[in-house]
Amino acid sequence: MTDSFRISTARALVTTAAVLYVPSNVIPVMTMTVAGKTDPLTVLGGVKELWDSNLPAIAGVVFLASFVVPFLKVASLGWILWLHGTDRHQGVRDKVHRIVHRIGSWSMIDIFLLSVLAAVGQLGALGSVTAEPGAIYFCSVMISCLLAAEIYKPRLIWESPGETDP
Amino acid sequence: MKSPSPLGPDWIACHHCEAPCRIRHVHPGTELRCGRCGSTVLSPAGRKTFQPALALSIAGLFALFLANTNPVLTFDVAGRTQSGYIVTGIGELFHQGYWPIAALVFTASMLAPALYLASVAYVSAACSMKFPLPGIFAAFRISTWAEPWNLIPVYSIATVVSVVKLRMIGGVTWNDGARWVLAVALLTLFAQQVFERRMVDLRLEAMAAARRNEGRAS
Repeated sequence: MTDSFRISTARALVTTAAVLYVPSNVIPVMTMTVAGKTDPLTVLGGVKELWDSNLPAIAGVVFLASFVVPFLKVASLGWILWLHGTDRHQGVRDKVHRIVHRIGSWSMIDIFLLSVLAAVGQLGALGSVTAEPGAIYFCSVMISCLLAAEIYKPRLIWESPGETDP
Repeated sequence: MKSPSPLGPDWIACHHCEAPCRIRHVHPGTELRCGRCGSTVLSPAGRKTFQPALALSIAGLFALFLANTNPVLTFDVAGRTQSGYIVTGIGELFHQGYWPIAALVFTASMLAPALYLASVAYVSAACSMKFPLPGIFAAFRISTWAEPWNLIPVYSIATVVSVVKLRMIGGVTWNDGARWVLAVALLTLFAQQVFERRMVDLRLEAMAAARRNEGRAS
């Protein structure tokens, strides 16, 4: 894989993630049906439900992992790629890339939550959990960012201006 | 046996930004840092060995096997109960038509943890025995690939959140699978801490050089 291909692929993936971030937060990721009452939940809807149930700590963890982290990932990868080929803030970009790499995976919490709930929440009329299209958008954002961070190697941050810019 | 480093014997690539750094002897209390990104390139080996990574990864593999063969949670609503394994959720998502999500959960909670722990165990065993086992470089590359996809620690947090959510509706019982998921998560995190890629790089390079010298001598 050439460096210019890496850069253009990473840019395409981050743009995809930025576009899909909106539907991933607007469209429900799952529907919980309890005793005939159907409740479609978006990412923020799930956070609100936890908050309303007097569980602020858990609501905070899910809010950070599912809403803030994906946004920060898209924004910071976009910023890193925007400045690619310049010698501006190379040290800061390198540190941000490291952080994105380290915390990026925590946004998977909502998808795993869906999987665990779907595993035990199939009790027919009494209760059921089904995935909704929002989960696909959410997964796409997560995978796009993870691949972009993997493909755009930290060494590319340090390349001289104009060296590999496609 | 192919050497992983295209640099000469006196040079080592920074593990983070790949800048070439000239190897020098590092005394206790000092370390060689990359002049470009500041990452530690070499530190005194001291008493560090490959055995902790080997022990943790083998223990992690056992725990992963048990996490996958025991139910994680049991949910109870109005006398009806249902238990779920890790694979149950994956199967259910697949049956609902969400196979991309099922594939992602399978990769991140089963495949990547197994590949990561197995490859770390294999590489650590080869390095601690100073014996170039077949496919050692491929195993090292697999461990690098699988590490960011090994999300079992996130899965363990998601299990806790799901218990909180399910308690709003009915009764939930933790099963042995949940304890083993937590054990795999902790063992994975510890293995990531003690599995020193820089040390592995150097050991593999030394083994490749020894093999080349043997070939010349014979």
